[in-house]
Amino acid sequence: MTFVKVKMALQKIAPAGKLGVRLKEDALKNVISSLKTEGHAVTSVSREDGIFLLEVTKGGG
Amino acid sequence: MNEADYKELKKGGMMRQAEAGLFSVRLHVVGGRLDTTQLRAIHDAADRFGRGEVHLTSRQGVEIPNVRQDSLSALKEFLSPSGVGVGVCGPTVRTVTACQGCRVCPSGVIDSPELADAADRAFYGKPVPHKFKIGVSGCVNNCMKAEENDAGIKGWIEPRWERGPCTLCGVCAAVCPTKAIATAEDGSLTVDLDLCIGCGDCIVSCPSGGMREARRGYRLFAGGKFGRKPFLGKRILGVLTTKEEAMAAITAVLEFFRAHGKPRERFGDTLERTGFDALERRVKEVTGL
Repeated sequence: MTFVKVKMALQKIAPAGKLGVRLKEDALKNVISSLKTEGHAVTSVSREDGIFLLEVTKGGG
Repeated sequence: MNEADYKELKKGGMMRQAEAGLFSVRLHVVGGRLDTTQLRAIHDAADRFGRGEVHLTSRQGVEIPNVRQDSLSALKEFLSPSGVGVGVCGPTVRTVTACQGCRVCPSGVIDSPELADAADRAFYGKPVPHKFKIGVSGCVNNCMKAEENDAGIKGWIEPRWERGPCTLCGVCAAVCPTKAIATAEDGSLTVDLDLCIGCGDCIVSCPSGGMREARRGYRLFAGGKFGRKPFLGKRILGVLTTKEEAMAAITAVLEFFRAHGKPRERFGDTLERTGFDALERRVKEVTGL
């Protein structure tokens, strides 16, 4: 479900556009592996109070 | 029927039922795979020689129950053209179980049916001190419960860390289910391979490519069983990278059991006597793995 939300958000931005994603630890594997599989790149990762903040570049994989 | 005759029948997969004169006939199935011709033959055999039903066993096998003793030979003959043989029981290497492996399952790391077929050809029905079960799981999701087998295999991905592309984002350590990844004082990452369960989650989750695949292949677990006194098999050797290496390791394990096992003693109990180290030392010696 989490990745579906990310995918829908990516559909609304232009190629090479950036998307910020806030994730709990337990969703990291599925979301990042699915993003990589679909040709996107996670261009930065930071952490804030146990939440992972990803910057995703659409089609950047 | 005397006990000696029954023992022979049982070895050939014919098991006496509670009801006198009836047998449940175990069939030879490898990794739970049957083609439709074989399924039709089993269906017809169950109608003709049994009571129109089959039993699916806990280890992916098929049995035809309610077969009269005087029909056992005819049943064997009837099934033969379809390539369905009768199974085994008693102190032999039993049905080799397997998942569908990497050719079918997206999680699969190894070709489980291929290894199961090779193990079946090499070991099935061969005599051992006590029943010996082999199971092949294509990945660490472990659908075939490798640790419940006397010799269990799991598909395995061993990671390695490369400093170059790594951004030290911490994702690999966060996703690792056994917390095998740690950051050292010099900022490098370490993977504790004793804790690593070979799932590859760190690799598929790594955004930068810093966590990579060192090798993939087969991991061997020895001495597991369920039954009255369950015991989980233990991991021996490192990652075996080819089917041939996996087969050589299983062969050496079986030889060790034949050399050290006692009649009616499961392999796990043998290993409690000899120690797992003795098995691992011997297998390494024999195979060079």
